Amino acid sequence: MSEYIPMQAEIEDIDRVTSDTYLISLHILEGKGLSYRPGQFIMVSVFGLGECPISIASSPTRDTLQICIRRAGRITSGIMDSRIGDVLGVRGPCGNGFPLERMGRDILIAGGGSGFATLRSLVNYIVDRRRSFGDVTVIYGARTSQDLYFMQEYKGWQMAGLSVGITVDVGDDSWTGNVGMVTSLLDRLEVSVGSAAICGPPVMINSVANTLLTMGFSNSDIYISLERHMKCGLGKCGHCNIGPHHVCQDGPVFSYDRVRSLLESL
Amino acid sequence: MMIAFLSNNEMVPLIEALAKRLEVIAPVLSGGQPVFATWNGQELALDAENPLSSPLEFLLPSREALFRYVQLSGRYTFEEPSLPARLILGIRPCDLFAVEVLDRIMTEEPCDQAYLGRRRSTVLVALNCTRPGSECTCAQMGSGPGCVAGYDLALTPLGDGYLVESGSPAGVLILREHPQFFREASNEEIARKEALLAASREQMIMVRPDLSLQSMQEAISAADWERLGDLCLRCGGCSFICPTCHCFNVLDLGVPDGERIRCADSCILSGFSRMTSGANPRATQGERLANWYRDKFVYMPEKIGLPGCVGCGRCHRVCLARFDRRKLEALP
Ligand SMILES: Cc1cc2nc3c(=O)[nH]c(=O)nc-3n(C[C@H](O)[C@H](O)[C@H](O)COP(=O)(O)OP(=O)(O)OC[C@H]3O[C@@H](n4cnc5c(N)ncnc54)[C@H](O)[C@@H]3O)c2cc1C
Ligand code: SF4
Ligand code: FES
Repeated sequence: MSEYIPMQAEIEDIDRVTSDTYLISLHILEGKGLSYRPGQFIMVSVFGLGECPISIASSPTRDTLQICIRRAGRITSGIMDSRIGDVLGVRGPCGNGFPLERMGRDILIAGGGSGFATLRSLVNYIVDRRRSFGDVTVIYGARTSQDLYFMQEYKGWQMAGLSVGITVDVGDDSWTGNVGMVTSLLDRLEVSVGSAAICGPPVMINSVANTLLTMGFSNSDIYISLERHMKCGLGKCGHCNIGPHHVCQDGPVFSYDRVRSLLESL
Repeated sequence: MMIAFLSNNEMVPLIEALAKRLEVIAPVLSGGQPVFATWNGQELALDAENPLSSPLEFLLPSREALFRYVQLSGRYTFEEPSLPARLILGIRPCDLFAVEVLDRIMTEEPCDQAYLGRRRSTVLVALNCTRPGSECTCAQMGSGPGCVAGYDLALTPLGDGYLVESGSPAGVLILREHPQFFREASNEEIARKEALLAASREQMIMVRPDLSLQSMQEAISAADWERLGDLCLRCGGCSFICPTCHCFNVLDLGVPDGERIRCADSCILSGFSRMTSGANPRATQGERLANWYRDKFVYMPEKIGLPGCVGCGRCHRVCLARFDRRKLEALP
């Protein structure tokens, strides 16, 4: 059968994350469901509108497959305007995911904006397998407090012994927390040097990675999840290439030294 | 391998016989130009220049349905298109080499079944080139003028007819099933083929003695891409016409029932790599053009062990930009 034919997934639940972002729980109607790892993504479709790449926001340690969708255009709006009981198409999982076997026990997780969706999978995985990990720090920044994802989950992460730092670019009256760049949290929290997982806008990725390097992280232990335009998720359509590599197959997670040498070789 | 001879006046009867069980695609004249089309009695254009649109269109169409989705009470059923059994007659060595390039890319895991399905149901009858076109450089790129692999049958025009060589069991079967059209080839005819192809090769090398995969790689590293990007008209013609270009877009047509199709796309166009944020990893036309050239001459040799340029010359025939596509320099 053609690998372009998706599985059907019924929407089980829709939760509001921010005004333009929803968390959608899916139940795959065929087979045994999806076996995946944190950092992988799926191709999600609304029949008639098309298909686009979406990170898996849930952890494989939990039963429900979840995606976190931000309204960006036709397809994302189509997904968000669906109702409980509607059917979406799902293909995947695609991509490599975070190399947990190489990341050790002490992990820093840094998210910026909507890039935090893919990191939630990793955070909840660590929470559920807490004893396999050591010092784990989560830092996350969004534009305003209204744009912060998964607010009601931070407490649970802290209770599981993770150290959590949140910041916004622009403060307001309702916000009593940190204001400033994600990197500013690195001075305030005690971070053990180990490995790191970063996802966010390119500027944020670079400034976090550079700060981590000065703190003694090795650039082969810093993992970045990259975004590219993607159409097939199979390494065929050509949209996502960086030089000879397809981000949909060889990525989206790359070590920082590899990303740097890929981009510099162009 | 079987080697036979097919005289010119047996060509049409042979195609008529083949067309009884297969869709035969062949170069025919349309509006005075050669094009690959389904043969149903039109005048053949086997001795015309290789058509501008390549026969790869019949293996990876510029538009094809991946599947049909049909909705019934909120659930979907999917139907895959049925693929016709085909024979492509007159595919040139350069385009045959492009088939090998696409085979490696599309059937590498995860295998693209849509491509593989068409590929498996298509018989390839190649036509060696004894008279290269003015832009042809298959000799320099190593794909021609005679094909060495990948064909079911290979024809070489000898003037009064064709030397016919089998390259696969499917090719042998065609020879065995139609003995009335063929006779055994003589040693003189086999020798004539070699001489004609050697002359064809020499002619191409003589026109462009310095061109090679390496000379292209050197030109790519030395090029002023921003300058070339300014000269590029951004039409995408070079990529839509290239037999090894295979990038595509995927979209849905129809609600609630319809087709998910793929259609040719091009890394030359600015929207190709633009992301949701509006940021574009290849922001300038120079970067996009450089990516197109590097993919063919640098990345593909590295990834699949074959150059992504087969020397068919088509991009030279369509490009209107004022730069030399072989030296990668602005024209005076
Ligand atoms: C690995 C990966 C993971 C992602 N994870 C998530 C996620 O968890 N949640 C989420 O909301 N979004 C995610 N995205 C982004 C999401 O794929 C895009 O927002 C979506 O494709 C836009 O489609 P649209 O039809 O809604 O918008 P469109 O109307 O098509 O276009 C809006 C903009 O997006 C660009 N665009 C169109 N198609 C794509 C594409 N396939 N890839 C990238 N850009 C495109 C267009 O050029 C345009 O600028 C992810 C993207 C990638 C590559
Ligand atoms: S055919 Fe020429 S002008 Fe058109 S996109 Fe290609 S390089 Fe540019
Ligand atoms: S998304 Fe098609 S090649 Fe990566």
